[in-house]
Amino acid sequence: MSAVEWIRFIMGSVFVIIGMVIFFTELFGVFHFKYVLNRMHAAAMGDTLGISSCLIGLMIFSGLNFTTLKMFLIIVFLWFASPVSSHVLSRLEVATNGKLSAYCEIYEDVNSLERELADRRNAPKTDTDRQESEPAKEKEAYPS
Amino acid sequence: MIYHPFFIILLILLSFMLLICLIRAVKGPRVADRLMAVNMMGTMVMVMISILALLLKEGYLVDLCLIYAMISFLAVVVISKVYIGIYEERQHDLKNQEGGVTDERG
Repeated sequence: MSAVEWIRFIMGSVFVIIGMVIFFTELFGVFHFKYVLNRMHAAAMGDTLGISSCLIGLMIFSGLNFTTLKMFLIIVFLWFASPVSSHVLSRLEVATNGKLSAYCEIYEDVNSLERELADRRNAPKTDTDRQESEPAKEKEAYPS
Repeated sequence: MIYHPFFIILLILLSFMLLICLIRAVKGPRVADRLMAVNMMGTMVMVMISILALLLKEGYLVDLCLIYAMISFLAVVVISKVYIGIYEERQHDLKNQEGGVTDERG
């Protein structure tokens, strides 16, 4: 193998190994989280970034021909298809789970959520903020 | 060539990951879990088919990969729509049964 082929092999294998690491992270996340809507966050990562970097590495291996073009088409198709399938899956979960409020907070209206967020922003003197601010003062007191 | 053993190692790693995805699909407590695991398995199989296309030097396998992507996307969308319909129908039947019982009592 000549030097150019070695460079091509190393570049392609770096991309493929990044893709495999992302697939492994996806599997770890799927087993780590406790609920489907959290797991979906980890599972959507491999659909776009994992397969994209794997196929970019394989495109570098294959060179300039029609196989490369078809792999690029697969990546573009998955960019469009993966968010749609994640959305449909989360709709399935929300529609069929009767006890959804046991797993996450539900807001019937978007306006109520925005009002609560604005209240949190305008009123920083809540209990949690005091608990956070008091240890900070102690940390500031330590060096002096 | 160095490509051959590299591709073989990648295929072995991907098949182990595929087995772990299958465990998630069997264990998953909800239907959305299983569908999500099947979607992940589809993604990994697409990478495996592309690696095989370069390993065997058969370009047409990438066409199969494109069609696999489309069919797996279609399967997820159609199965979730069908399951939402079945669930709503079941809830409707349950409500009708309760209503029928109260009507008989009344």
